Amino acid sequence: MRRMATNPSTDRHLPRERVEDWPTDRLEAGVPLAPVPSGKEPLFQVRDLKKSFGPRRILRGIDCDIYRGETFVILGGSGSGKTTLLKHLMGMLTPDYGVLSVGSLDLIRASEADLATYRRRMGVVFQNAALLNSLSVLENVALPLIEVDRRPPGEIHDRVVRALRRVFLPAEEILHLKPADLSGGMRKRVGIARAIIQDPEIIFYDEPTTGLDPVTVNGVNELTLELQASMGVTSVVITHDLDAAYMIADRIAVLYKGRFVAIGTQAEIEANPHPVLRQLLSGSTRGPLTEGYVEDEHRIPPTPKGIRRKTSWADPILADPPADPPTPEAPHGQ
Amino acid sequence: MRSLVDGTGAMVTGALEGAGRAVRLFAATIVRLPGCWRSLPQILRQIDVCGYGSVLVLALITGLTGMIMAMQTGHELQGFGLVDNLGAIIGATFCREMGPIWAAVIILARVGSAMAAELGTMTVNEEVDALRVMSIDPVRYLVVPRLAALLIAMPLLTAIADAVGLLGGAIATKALFNQPIAVFFDSAWSLLTGLDFWSGLGKSAVFACIIATIACDHGLETRGGAEGVGRAATTTVVDSVVFVLLANLVMTAFIIKVLAPVFG
Repeated sequence: MRRMATNPSTDRHLPRERVEDWPTDRLEAGVPLAPVPSGKEPLFQVRDLKKSFGPRRILRGIDCDIYRGETFVILGGSGSGKTTLLKHLMGMLTPDYGVLSVGSLDLIRASEADLATYRRRMGVVFQNAALLNSLSVLENVALPLIEVDRRPPGEIHDRVVRALRRVFLPAEEILHLKPADLSGGMRKRVGIARAIIQDPEIIFYDEPTTGLDPVTVNGVNELTLELQASMGVTSVVITHDLDAAYMIADRIAVLYKGRFVAIGTQAEIEANPHPVLRQLLSGSTRGPLTEGYVEDEHRIPPTPKGIRRKTSWADPILADPPADPPTPEAPHGQ
Repeated sequence: MRSLVDGTGAMVTGALEGAGRAVRLFAATIVRLPGCWRSLPQILRQIDVCGYGSVLVLALITGLTGMIMAMQTGHELQGFGLVDNLGAIIGATFCREMGPIWAAVIILARVGSAMAAELGTMTVNEEVDALRVMSIDPVRYLVVPRLAALLIAMPLLTAIADAVGLLGGAIATKALFNQPIAVFFDSAWSLLTGLDFWSGLGKSAVFACIIATIACDHGLETRGGAEGVGRAATTTVVDSVVFVLLANLVMTAFIIKVLAPVFG
């Protein structure tokens, strides 16, 4: 039986159970694997995936299926293991334990040749675009076509122009510019153009909207949706941005201390009483994500219901200041 | 006491691990070297960076060194009436030791550190990861052109260093001891053999391998953002100096004991 929150004025939409009511083993327990819905085909199958770096246990038992053609968003705080998991899915790290397969390919036991074939089916959008600064935009986007596919120069030029236009960039104007001459948003789009130049089946996005202004963030999110619709790719996205996750995700998975503590649609995530999710939704600095980060007197109270604070998980202390509570003079707060 | 032993053990283990990693990287680079023609534009770019950009400073330093050697040695030899032998002494010193060593010092300080910093920055910016996920081998794409460029540029720089050092010595000898430049060079040619010249070039090729391998290894293993990049550049210079001098010691002993009796 859930109990009401103790302070209805500030904790109105927080879980009726308090964080203290969640013992550590329950708080950090992974969600059980859900049955595959009819009509869905798992592309990635991840079972009890574990990875440690020295004494640090980064992944402590990841279980999930990622379905073909869906956009699967992974949310999690800094150090929760998101990037490590993504690198496993890309075949760049080998786990200590567990099962990891994509289609019929066992990524753990795959040969270098199989991995190379697999990597040609995928594109990766890196956090800072990861463009090579010594190369022009044309050379950056064309890199896999030049170095891997060895396509003729005429075809390369045409495909690069097409890819740049697909991400809404003025191809002819920027082809010969260096990455340093582009804005952050343009660099990110060039990174996306490079990721899609080989018409991949899978696209991995590593925090694609971090550090961008709100307009560019929306642009990148719309682009992700557009690519999903037009290419039918399977997308795996790591983000800190809850709004972006809601906008693009078919399903959202929340990673906490090396395990998925929730996987589901937006509605399922919003209805989940898990304290990590509650903290994420409220933007509060009270909760398991910030345990030990902030002294009690500096904690930001939860946002009143109806006002969702835009939150960056990268540094909870730097989240927007709390909205003023509603008063008769200002019923929606300041 | 225990922490001292632990610390020393960790340092030795780390050094051995780093050496093993560098040897593996060198072996992987050598295996890929025959296909380096595919990276010709990158090799030319690297030659431009490390070779052409280093010529002036190398010429200045070796020219001055030749002059200083002529002054110091000539001053002593003058008392014995042996100034005529200055050309032989300076020529042998430059072709056997000073030429390749100065070329190595200039390249490791100017190019090795820059190479480590560039690759380090690429590593922390995930550019190297980006290459891997595109199935582009970072060793073939990044390391092979750098090693090939240094293998071409270093012997050329060494030859330039030899020539300019001798010229500096000849000019100083003429200015200070009024010895004709032709006498200086006659003296040099009388002592120098093909082995002196070619062994110097051979040493410079080995130094090129050492500098390129250490710089690329430190660059590709960079961790920890800007601080890590700075550390990679610094350790590249320190490690390269140590290994270049160690290699020089071994090669000099080999040349004197093994090659000189046969070819000298």
